[in-house]
Amino acid sequence: MQVAGEFVFQAGRDAVWQLLNDPEVLGRCLPGCEQLVPVAEDRYAAKVRVGLAAVKGTYEGSLAVTDKQAPAAMTLRIDMKGTTGFVAIAGRMLFEAGEPDAPAGGEGGVASTRVAYDWDVKVGGPVAMVGQRVLGGVAKWIIGEFFAAAKAELAARGSAV
Amino acid sequence: MSVDVRERRGEGAEAARSRGALIGQSPRRLEDARLLTGRGLFVDDVQRPDMLHAAVVRSPHAHARIQGIDVSAALALPGVVAVYTAADLGHLNGPFSVLIPHDDLQHGRGLSALAVEKVRHVGEAVALVVASDRYIAEDAADMVAVEYEPLPAAVGLEAAVAPDAPLVHDGVPSNVAGHYVRNVGDYEAVRRQAHLILKERFRVDRGAASPMETRGVVAIPEGRGLTMYVSTQAPVALRAWLAAWFDLPEMELRLIAPDVGGGFGPKVMMMYPEEVLVPFAAMRLKRPVKWIEDRREHFVATTHEREQVHDVEVVVGADGTLLGLKTNFLYDSGAYSPYGIQIPIISATTLPGPYRLRNYSVEFRAVYTNTPTVAVYRGAGRPHGVFVMERMMDRIAEALGLAPMEVRRRNFIQPDQFPWDTGLIYQDWAPCKYDSGDYPALADRLERMLVGVADEVAQARAAGRLVGVGMGFYVEGAGPGPYEGVRVRVEPSGKVQVATGVGTQGQSHFTTLAQVVAGELGVALDQVHVVTGDTAAMGWGIGTFASRAAVLVGNAAYLAAQAVAEKARTVAAALLECTPSEVELRGGRAWVGGPAGAGEPAGAGGSAPAGARETVRSLPLGEVARRANPLRGTLAFGEPGLEATKFFSPQQSTFPSGAHAAVVEVDRGTGFAKVLRYFVVHDCGTMINPMVVEGQIHGGVAQGLGGALLEKLVFDEEGQLLTTTFADYLLPLATDIPAIETDHITTTSPLNPLGIKGAGEAGVIPCHAVVAAALEDALREWQVRISEMPINPCRIWELMQR
Repeated sequence: MQVAGEFVFQAGRDAVWQLLNDPEVLGRCLPGCEQLVPVAEDRYAAKVRVGLAAVKGTYEGSLAVTDKQAPAAMTLRIDMKGTTGFVAIAGRMLFEAGEPDAPAGGEGGVASTRVAYDWDVKVGGPVAMVGQRVLGGVAKWIIGEFFAAAKAELAARGSAV
Repeated sequence: MSVDVRERRGEGAEAARSRGALIGQSPRRLEDARLLTGRGLFVDDVQRPDMLHAAVVRSPHAHARIQGIDVSAALALPGVVAVYTAADLGHLNGPFSVLIPHDDLQHGRGLSALAVEKVRHVGEAVALVVASDRYIAEDAADMVAVEYEPLPAAVGLEAAVAPDAPLVHDGVPSNVAGHYVRNVGDYEAVRRQAHLILKERFRVDRGAASPMETRGVVAIPEGRGLTMYVSTQAPVALRAWLAAWFDLPEMELRLIAPDVGGGFGPKVMMMYPEEVLVPFAAMRLKRPVKWIEDRREHFVATTHEREQVHDVEVVVGADGTLLGLKTNFLYDSGAYSPYGIQIPIISATTLPGPYRLRNYSVEFRAVYTNTPTVAVYRGAGRPHGVFVMERMMDRIAEALGLAPMEVRRRNFIQPDQFPWDTGLIYQDWAPCKYDSGDYPALADRLERMLVGVADEVAQARAAGRLVGVGMGFYVEGAGPGPYEGVRVRVEPSGKVQVATGVGTQGQSHFTTLAQVVAGELGVALDQVHVVTGDTAAMGWGIGTFASRAAVLVGNAAYLAAQAVAEKARTVAAALLECTPSEVELRGGRAWVGGPAGAGEPAGAGGSAPAGARETVRSLPLGEVARRANPLRGTLAFGEPGLEATKFFSPQQSTFPSGAHAAVVEVDRGTGFAKVLRYFVVHDCGTMINPMVVEGQIHGGVAQGLGGALLEKLVFDEEGQLLTTTFADYLLPLATDIPAIETDHITTTSPLNPLGIKGAGEAGVIPCHAVVAAALEDALREWQVRISEMPINPCRIWELMQR
């Protein structure tokens, strides 16, 4: 299954790049993530708890970032397996600097960054057998939750600065 | 037109009279009271106090290399008794030999109990967990850590034979398990003189039999050996295989197929991994072990059927005569080939149907794919052959501007042309030679049933509704050998025990076999007790499949009952001081002289004192049995008691036939197809119990309509099965099936004493063809071509957008 989309952050490209390469942030933002431990450079051991239709389970595996072209592009590879099957996600993420917003209150425009993703999602075992009809919806939900959380992180950083 | 087989056999009117009282009647089923009041015994009903429960660890990958299995976490879970992998089974793991080898199955591959090195389909068994209860077993199964290296999967028939396809088995080039080529006549020669050549590609997709009861195995160490309860269609054959596999004396392995909640073919497949794993665990642990398949695993752990793609060409004369047919098809065997190439052979040999096809060229390749194994399912290849031939008949009719029925009539084998040799060898390795039939009579009856339907359809269409009619004919090979046997025994109580080795899965054997025996012995139906599927009661047999129980077991029961009746007359004659031919068995008694229809004879109260013989004009049959088994003296009548075991072994299969028609309506907005009326004319020779035959037809039609309009197993490109719940894999509901209108003709088979031809699969066989034709008729304004089955509303709607 191919899952593609994009998400716009109201921040500069470097800031967004840093955000999405911060394991702490990833661990906090990924729905159901119980553990994200670095095991090597850009490689993490992950443990995630997800429910898909009637199939709820814990998945363990690895998350890796490769082919980095900071701050423009990277490849994300997630391989998880659990009691109810396996999930393998692989695909490119592109970071594009957007046009600054038109100045609203007379100040300079806020930079924006468009993050486009195109992931190949493979799911197998009971989770695919039972949950396939809701798979697309659940994938979109998880991705949406992730980016929303990341955006909140960004906002929090912004206010902290 | 109906031939009275009894007269042809030259039998005495006496026997005919007694048998005539019950064969052909429709008494209520003897098994219903027991089953409907919860007194049946299914595998899951078998309980033992110290029983353990098993769960199977199954592959989530369609194709992967197993890099390691770590069972330590599972073993550490309290309640877990054992976890087995292939290594623990050693040579007992397999692979099992191919059940039905064939010269044209060049690369047969049997199943193993547990996967070694590689998994080849989603759901393949990888490990077995045994625990104190099923919950713990399931939890522990989740904790077995299997390290897989995923491999590209061969999924889809055409993709699997493509040059760059991943190989399911090393050493099987192009994934082709078997390659079969047969030629009858000279197709190429006739093609050169063709008036008309028509070509088409037909596809039939995958389905599942979905019996109400999934599979299940219980193994109980008992005495010196093992007692097993298995939800199987072939208990005696399975016992033989398992005894050989475990090197057990057959007498130490008792196998019982108790009540079985539907079989439909997949339960005749053997040996399934669990049929080896469960007894292995029971013997190792010296405790009873139970495994019951759950519905979700049933979708991947029990065999599938129905996937074929045919490229067909027909050669037709100007008058619509079918001069020749050529088909080249692919058959999806799934990951293994335990059932060999039986199914595509049946497709190839069923395809000619009721037509004079003298130039026939057929070629198929059986193809391995990374999907669950394919074996027989009700119809077992027959629906595909019929789909192809009947679709082409409709195409010929259309091309020549003839009515569909007229084209068929012009090509029917005529009643005086039997036996008709198709020139092929059937699945039973005997000639595919039609024994009897009357296809024009089927057509006459079907037309009679359809009187008025054309008007109904015209009215509906005038009102803007999309309604159409379709028809289909078939001839099916049924009742193949090699044999079945029946032991009939009259007890001193007067009750009659009838034991057969076949299993029973709802076919009414408890009633129909009792009818055959009761008629011969002149006893009331409810005095006959049929025992099926227990190797301790009958140790010989093959199994219930291919519409063979009535043909094989029915005739064996008839022969055994005749032998017992003859013995009863001999013994009774000595006791009643007359000749055996003067003895009549009637009303549970042996009579001499005959009381001219009167009731109880004067002075005959059960056991008559020896001195009073001359006044006794009848004896209870039980008393005759008792006298044949004396406590002192000598055996005066050969073997003790009233008992006989007889076998029936036919020279070849019988060939029942039928004609179906349907009226189907398509919803203009949604493409939803509803079957409004369904008609069946059927010829299965002698019917033991017409009500039971009707039931078989109704069930078959329901499965056939499900297979045409609803049921489809869908895989993704990775070989993941996406339809493993009844929310995704749709079975027909009562609301999907109209009241089925049936009619019968009877041309009896000359191949067996009772003239039976078999009826188990009949209902399902032409449904694809009939529904496709009706849909095309309903959608005539779009001129759609239905050449695939099953077909769902989305696809119909898509066709309507063109």
